[in-house]
Amino acid sequence: MSVTQPSAIIIGAGFTGCALAYDLAQRGFAVTVVERGELASGTSGRTHGLLHSGARYCVTDAEAAVECIQENIILRRIAKQCIEYNGGYFVALDDADLAYAPVFSQGAQACGIPVEEIGVKRALGTEPALNPNILAAYQVPDAAFDPLRLAMAFAASARRYGAKFNTYHDVVGFLRDGNGNICGISAVNRHSAQPVEFQADITVNATGAWAGKVAEIAGIPVPVRPTPGVMVAYEKRVTERVINRLCEPDDGDILLPQRRMAVIGTTSFEVEDADYIPVHPDQVKEMHKRAALLVPALVNIKMRGAYMSARPLIGGMMSGRSLSRTFKCYDHRTIDGVDGLVTVTGGKATTCRVMAEKTADLVCQKLGWQRVCETAQHPLADYHLYYQSTEVAA
Amino acid sequence: MTEQPWQVHFKIYRQRSGQKPYIQTLTLAVDPDEYILDAIERIWANHDRTLTYRHACHHSTCGACGMRVNGCEKLACITTIRSVTQNGGNLRIDPLRNFPVVSDLVVDMGDFFLRMNKSGFDSVALSEAACLPYEKPKILMDQAEQVTERLVDCIECGLCISACPAANTDKEYVGPAVLASIQFMYAQNPSQELIDQADHHSGLWRCHSAYECTQVCPSGVDPAWRIMDMRKKVLTDRIKSIFRPRSQEKKNA
Amino acid sequence: MPNQPEANNWPRWFDPRSRSLGTFGFILNRVTALGLTLYLLMHLVALGQLAKGADAYDGFIALVKNPLFKLGELLVIAAGVIHGLNGIRIALNSFGIGVRRQRSTFIALMAVSVLVIAFFAYKMFSEG
Repeated sequence: MSVTQPSAIIIGAGFTGCALAYDLAQRGFAVTVVERGELASGTSGRTHGLLHSGARYCVTDAEAAVECIQENIILRRIAKQCIEYNGGYFVALDDADLAYAPVFSQGAQACGIPVEEIGVKRALGTEPALNPNILAAYQVPDAAFDPLRLAMAFAASARRYGAKFNTYHDVVGFLRDGNGNICGISAVNRHSAQPVEFQADITVNATGAWAGKVAEIAGIPVPVRPTPGVMVAYEKRVTERVINRLCEPDDGDILLPQRRMAVIGTTSFEVEDADYIPVHPDQVKEMHKRAALLVPALVNIKMRGAYMSARPLIGGMMSGRSLSRTFKCYDHRTIDGVDGLVTVTGGKATTCRVMAEKTADLVCQKLGWQRVCETAQHPLADYHLYYQSTEVAA
Repeated sequence: MTEQPWQVHFKIYRQRSGQKPYIQTLTLAVDPDEYILDAIERIWANHDRTLTYRHACHHSTCGACGMRVNGCEKLACITTIRSVTQNGGNLRIDPLRNFPVVSDLVVDMGDFFLRMNKSGFDSVALSEAACLPYEKPKILMDQAEQVTERLVDCIECGLCISACPAANTDKEYVGPAVLASIQFMYAQNPSQELIDQADHHSGLWRCHSAYECTQVCPSGVDPAWRIMDMRKKVLTDRIKSIFRPRSQEKKNA
Repeated sequence: MPNQPEANNWPRWFDPRSRSLGTFGFILNRVTALGLTLYLLMHLVALGQLAKGADAYDGFIALVKNPLFKLGELLVIAAGVIHGLNGIRIALNSFGIGVRRQRSTFIALMAVSVLVIAFFAYKMFSEG
């Protein structure tokens, strides 16, 4: 379509938005990112911080598990700067967990996740704080990452290719061309309260749990259910590795180290609006109980923080272009007859790069722009450099 | 919630970019154990959508939500309302000092982050290198022998720079966090370039020993200790160089 | 851009609100240093009396026997002791010595200062 440089607006600077900005900018797009708050100030920043090996999903959702392990390996290579990689254990606490072990082990192997049963003695030798009554332990390549810095690293890389980041810009409307197709957005600069317009060949709604609300501005339905979960942080780094309970995905089944802390999560419930989700004390209590099952010493360690993060769960039946069960990318031309707008939502932090890749593929295909994704091949720019061209709004 | 909600009078610094600042007053019923960041988010969501503030992780690993709470630098995400005021009390919230205010509680961290970058700051290090040298024996005893890595303590929140009286009057001052980063990187990989970044009048020697950086650090970096440790290294080198024969100096150069 | 402190905010140096003990040490050192500098100037002026002859000097000495001046002298001693002892703490810290005990060192040295000042006060005022 375009012979000259194509342009794209990305709404949302979470993991997906930042990774997509990098992907499109690297493929030669003139990219403008518009974000309501700070980088990663929605769901992304508040993630658990677990770089999944995929083992958590290897029985219930093999497709997601395969995606996770592939992205796990890629991110460990390109985003080394914000990932602490010590691996993780899956530990069995009771007979039901033990019964799950063979299914788990087979599932992981089928998904290509390197899983190894290690003796209970070795697990306790390397992680002395673990519950001494564990019955079995498996090692997987889990890791922990720093949420804000991962988003910043993608954003810094995008900036290197000329992407422009407009944080603190609230999207208030979509611009339409003569045919009713979307050709840009109108926004408000929240620093100065001034209105501003951006135009582009394509607009991507990468607002995760808010994708429904943003699409609604254009009168387009996107069935996303914000599904929050609670995370609790403790004052002490009790383990060096990620500790998962060897069971089907459940509440409070993952405990991970982060800096001097330990973080446990999570729960799952649905809300209408993800703007403000109060931290429910009863859920915090429940997490505390679950955490103590994995590491008994946590009972006596002070809580440092508790927070809610709203996963973008895709609900309802929609004939969207399903890329996998984990995330979806909608071309609103084919579904709603409105061209110029693409929505990407769902997914997980671990798979943000591939979500961006698939979305960028769709965008390129729509605009007839033939460049391939190279984001998996090169290390990301140093996250500090996100600030290279930050200017104080005058 | 085990007790009645508190009535707290929020006094929030507000400033549109380039305009005159003012204080916005707002009385809110809060759970005393609520974190200040959650209260601010609620104010934004339910009362005033124009309020701007920085935040991301909500559990003290990202360092975005540094602000001054009743005058003292805090990470809003791990500071409970109970710890800074009482029922019926005031809660004054200001942006960090010594950074340019972009709007409301948002400050520009750009220059600071680029200085951190210049010092070569690595966010991940071997667990042994990541802890403070004086706490090494304790940490190593806690864990069985193993080589692991971890995200290091400094979360680049800027609280130390805001609390520092020297940064308050010298805008060229490298600042506690960056000097701490230089010490941290030098300990792992000594280089003359790092010394040069620290050893000048707006570097190590601008510190006036108020120890506020260590006092407000939410992450256990102990910047003041690191500044003094770096001074020790520089001073030791200088004293040694007095006694070093000239010929040897040339050889080393 | 560099850190951007507001212009002329040095008065903040002397504002101890919501600051810790370290700032009190910092403030004390600045106040005593200013006091000692002021005293040095006054001292030079006083010595200047010598040039005007013996009578002028004797008259000046008689003036400073006045209790108000004695109090001033005590303040000079206090400033010297506080600044000196605190200075030793800061110098040692700069060699990496006792940094983690800077708070307790400060409290101990200030306790010593109080004793020394009390001793001088007793000496000066009891002997008339």
